[in-house]
Amino acid sequence: MLGYIRLEIARARRDPGYVIMGFTMPVVMYLLFTNLGVAGDDHGWAALHVMVSMAAFGAIGSAFNNGTGIAEDRTAGWLRQLRITPLAPVQVIAGKAGTGMLVVLPAIAGVCLSAALLNGVRLAIWQWASIVLLLWAGSLPFTLLGLAIGYRFSGQTAAVLNIAANLVLAIVGGLWLPAEVFPSWLKALAEWTPSFAYADLARKIAFGQTPGTGVALILTCWLVVFGLLALYGYRRAGRLA
Amino acid sequence: MSRAALDRWIYLGSRALRSVFRMTNDVVSLKNVTKRFGAVRAVDDLSLDIPAGQTVALLGPNGAGKSTGIRLLLGLLAADSGTVRVFGGAPEAAIRSGRLAAMPQEGGLVSRTTVGELLGFVSGTYRAPLPLREVMAVAGLEELAGRRVERLSGGQAQRLRFALALAGDPELILLDEPTAALDVRARREFWESMRAFAARGRTVLFSTHYLEEADEYADRVVVIDRGRIVADGTSREIKRLVSLTTVRVTVPAPETAWLELLPGVTSVEIRGDRAHLRTRDADTTVLALAEAGAVRDLEVVPAALEDAFIALTGVDA
Repeated sequence: MLGYIRLEIARARRDPGYVIMGFTMPVVMYLLFTNLGVAGDDHGWAALHVMVSMAAFGAIGSAFNNGTGIAEDRTAGWLRQLRITPLAPVQVIAGKAGTGMLVVLPAIAGVCLSAALLNGVRLAIWQWASIVLLLWAGSLPFTLLGLAIGYRFSGQTAAVLNIAANLVLAIVGGLWLPAEVFPSWLKALAEWTPSFAYADLARKIAFGQTPGTGVALILTCWLVVFGLLALYGYRRAGRLA
Repeated sequence: MSRAALDRWIYLGSRALRSVFRMTNDVVSLKNVTKRFGAVRAVDDLSLDIPAGQTVALLGPNGAGKSTGIRLLLGLLAADSGTVRVFGGAPEAAIRSGRLAAMPQEGGLVSRTTVGELLGFVSGTYRAPLPLREVMAVAGLEELAGRRVERLSGGQAQRLRFALALAGDPELILLDEPTAALDVRARREFWESMRAFAARGRTVLFSTHYLEEADEYADRVVVIDRGRIVADGTSREIKRLVSLTTVRVTVPAPETAWLELLPGVTSVEIRGDRAHLRTRDADTTVLALAEAGAVRDLEVVPAALEDAFIALTGVDA
């Protein structure tokens, strides 16, 4: 299974879509959003707030990209090829999920490093560690949703759904514009999304607050839902392979 | 327990034991396997046993059920009825243990990897793989280790698929139309590699619609048509089965009825002073002719496997 993860990582490195969406875009957007039209006192707030938002946005994009790659793999006969190796199906899924947990790291690391080195964000070590850990572990539901889409839909459809889900979750979840500026009905909606919950956990740490259990519960519920969807998609794909 | 009952127990027990051993001797065992796709029976009540060490060709026209049969043997498809056994167990178990490997007809080469990476990964999934260098050499990939998979030519891609199937040093290898995309030279090279593999006592099952491949490389040819086996034997036996070998001899006398009584002969056709005898066993027919002193201008015209194929399936391959 480690061999499988190594192979998938080598493939991701050569995927321009991943390099752009999973690293370049979130870092560039972070630097733009925090340095254009934001002045004075607001800069410090924005540098920290948007750091979590963009790290989350990049991680979600990477997680989706990894999962929907499954659709391409299926079309290419790669999943069938894996089925005629001694690897058990569950090892293949675990390997793909493990890859998902690794490919989110460049976005998180890239944005956090830009914040520290270029935007002068200063946090305690435990805060940095907690933020990175929460952003990393919290990306699992999105990896699973990506897998669900990848197993359920064919290449083109999966790619479109990937981008659509990514944008909807980013916008409604308040990753591009903070949910604080939303009209009240949209804000109410935003609080139920996995992307809001995901970013909110790390954001609370960043601003020295305690993450809410309600938010953690919402993200956990999404984890279960997306996990079940991934399982359903995998079973269905297995029958059709 | 009476003596008779004891005898019966011993008889039944030994028979069960024998059948168990026979089962484990057969590397592949299909029993009354049927697979439908909608109304079409892709595989129709098919039974086939393959003992260890044989090289078997699954010969049939397109749509005969060859690929479906191979996918059933790999556990990629489940049979609607009947049993599929590989090494006496489920195909999945044979794959898991590394004893069964396969080369799909197409696909399976994932993009954004190099030949070396892909082969190294697949090799690493086996407990006792062949050394990578050996696999590369057998498949003729030494020069291509760093090449990206999507930049391989058709023949190179096929050699990589073959290498992936060989990597775990399987005891049984299934090849679905392995040479379909290859030119004549690549085809010959491929079969040389295949022969080297089979020579180590491995069992090979390959599907093909190239008759000369079945004729030349298989110990046994299973002709399949519309999901059913229509002939099974060596290519020589199959040709004989449809009695297509023709013995031609010049016979002076006008009466020729005796020719029809010769051993092996199935039909006689007289063209001028030449008798064309269709025979299922040319050797004995010729011997009988010799005993009767009728050997003038005798010639034996062997049937092409192709003729047998057409006769058996009614399809012009």
